[in-house]
Amino acid sequence: MDNRKGRGRFIFFCLAPAVILFIIFLIIPTIDVFRMSLYKWGGYTDHKTFVGLQNFTKLFQSEKFYQTFQNSVLLIVVVSIVTFAFALLFASMLSREKLIGQNFFRIIFYIPNILSIVVISAIFSAIYDPNNGLLNAFLNLFRSASSDPILWLGDQKIVIYSLCGAMVWQAIGYYMVMYMASMANIPESLYESAELEGASRRHQFFAITIPLIWTNIRTTLTFFIISTINMSFLFVMAMTGGGPDGATEVFLSYMYKEAYTNSSYGYGMAIGVVVFLFSFALAAVLNAVTRREHLEY
Amino acid sequence: MKKLLSLALAATLTLSLAACGGNNSGSGSDSANAPAANNTEAASGSTRTLKVAALETAYGADVWQEIATAYEKVKPEVKIELTIDKNLEDVIGPGMKSGDFPDVIHLGVGQPKGLTETFVKDNNLTDLTEVLYMTVPGESATVREKLIPGFTDTTITNPYGEGNTYLMPMFYSPCGLFFNAGLFEEKGWTVPQTWDEMWALGDKAKAEGIALFSYPTTGYFDAFFYALLNEAGGPEFFTRAMNYTEGIWKTEEAAKAFDVVDKLANYTEKTVPANGNKDNFVKNQQLILDNKALFMPNGTWVVGEMSKAPRADGFKWGFTALPALTDGGDRYSYTFFEQIWVPAKAKNADLAKEFIAYLYSDEAASIFAKVGAVQPIKGMSDKLEGDNKLFYSVYDSGAKAAMGAFATTDPVEGVSISDTVFGTVDSLVTKSKTKDQWIEAITKASDSLRGALKK
Repeated sequence: MDNRKGRGRFIFFCLAPAVILFIIFLIIPTIDVFRMSLYKWGGYTDHKTFVGLQNFTKLFQSEKFYQTFQNSVLLIVVVSIVTFAFALLFASMLSREKLIGQNFFRIIFYIPNILSIVVISAIFSAIYDPNNGLLNAFLNLFRSASSDPILWLGDQKIVIYSLCGAMVWQAIGYYMVMYMASMANIPESLYESAELEGASRRHQFFAITIPLIWTNIRTTLTFFIISTINMSFLFVMAMTGGGPDGATEVFLSYMYKEAYTNSSYGYGMAIGVVVFLFSFALAAVLNAVTRREHLEY
Repeated sequence: MKKLLSLALAATLTLSLAACGGNNSGSGSDSANAPAANNTEAASGSTRTLKVAALETAYGADVWQEIATAYEKVKPEVKIELTIDKNLEDVIGPGMKSGDFPDVIHLGVGQPKGLTETFVKDNNLTDLTEVLYMTVPGESATVREKLIPGFTDTTITNPYGEGNTYLMPMFYSPCGLFFNAGLFEEKGWTVPQTWDEMWALGDKAKAEGIALFSYPTTGYFDAFFYALLNEAGGPEFFTRAMNYTEGIWKTEEAAKAFDVVDKLANYTEKTVPANGNKDNFVKNQQLILDNKALFMPNGTWVVGEMSKAPRADGFKWGFTALPALTDGGDRYSYTFFEQIWVPAKAKNADLAKEFIAYLYSDEAASIFAKVGAVQPIKGMSDKLEGDNKLFYSVYDSGAKAAMGAFATTDPVEGVSISDTVFGTVDSLVTKSKTKDQWIEAITKASDSLRGALKK
């Protein structure tokens, strides 16, 4: 009995540091964001006015907010799906097929993940340059050089997809490595017996690989949401600044703009609250719809 | 025994953490006490520290170091602590959020992060009217006597409309259209005096594969549009527009200005919106140096900014005020100036005021002038040389000076007049918005800001 009490005390003292840190640096700031969203405040004075839910009602009437919402959702959907497909494809190619220079490709694919976002943005700004960019120069091989250049970062209809391109390029390597790690755990015998029974490579992929790394896929889906929301801010800030004319404004860049540039800190926090709830809800929904019986091997 | 040991270890872990926290709060209160300690020291006659924060611009950071050294010679009892950074807002912002304010901040309105605007909107500035009547240290004239008249009567320096000055004007620069004078000589073109001549030139240039217009980012339209509004309706109309007067954007005068910008959008080099962001705007400026576009709105700093850029043979900077709307009509050049100010919670506001007064001394002015930073001090523009002489003489050759900006309001969530008025120009160029949509949006933003005007 006494032994158990001591054990409990020991666990308590071991956990206490982490719990205290967690509360100070995570729980309290989060609560603070919620609290600040109810105030009108410029950010640098002691003068805060409590305005209740006014920030939220203004937010839901703002066309600009809906535009940023659309942009963010579009990015989340497109970037997640494309990255997911490519990462899975490359992962299975690199772990299942016998390729020359496998390790080399593994490294190459992972490199974008090590690069800083600012560097990637600079690279893609150069690729997308309308006059002497790589992309337009390549396209000019197939069309007359005198035709109008495509404005990858200047045309409101295209620019968000240009952003997608850079984000996908950046993210593939990371998810590829994650999928490869779990694919490596699948026993070789399953594939051998499938082969003996005449299953095609594609069949093997969908019937063995996917179901057996399903838990991993589910985890990465949540990662996709969080990282796209965060990364899109960095890319937008470094590449387009939200332009042209707000066409690439996303959740966080809009929040930043309102909180700092437009002196509406409270309103910015209200945007933060909406983003917080939205990403939580989205992750929960995805988690629920992807729930499958756990397969053991 | 083992159990006791592990328990003790865990306890030390927790304690050390608590100690960490304790330490933090300790150092926090230390720094809060420090300025107070400084004050008492000052009373007893030893040195006081003045914290000066300045944005590093095209003029460089060294010039501030030089000013600090010079001031410390004039006032040996003051020690200057400088913070100079290109991202000044990010450097001093967090400290200010926790109550640690610099005494003097050199950072103008119109910056992307809008820190100065935030302080203005929050009534968070020290009144500097007193500085105008202070004698410049080491000289006999007052600051007011040395300043070029008009600079401290603008909506920027006196944001609350009661006549008091809260932001002091620093480096100024005439803004207008920059072009390659060499190209004009070579082609035998004359610089247009009216917008009609401008359009005619635009068609002529187009035939040679040169676009009429480029702009670095839409942000540069502020000076352009302010000057244009002055041309369209005169200073009084401009002031009404800046105060969001009801129906002002539907007037004939406003329509003239909108027409010019809309037409100019058609004459703009097509790739400009793609590079119109803070990382690639130099490419838009390069269009002028490469003879791919004729004019761009800019300020005198562009010469330094592009000094290392490659350029067409025979390139020579040219500068002109905006063309007039009618033959013989008024031409305007907007005067851009940076501001220096003191936060309301600065600990050494008295020292800060003296320091600002010193900045208008002949000694300080000549230090600034060495790097091309010109203050609105009488007679300064006569001392200039080279390109700068041409730029600053624009007002001598008939152009009128426009000053001021959109009036300060309490923050209105989700409404940014500069995004609406200037940012939309990108969309006019790419044709994703029409002129009417633009005017509609401006009217709407203007309407919602009117009620929030500072009384």
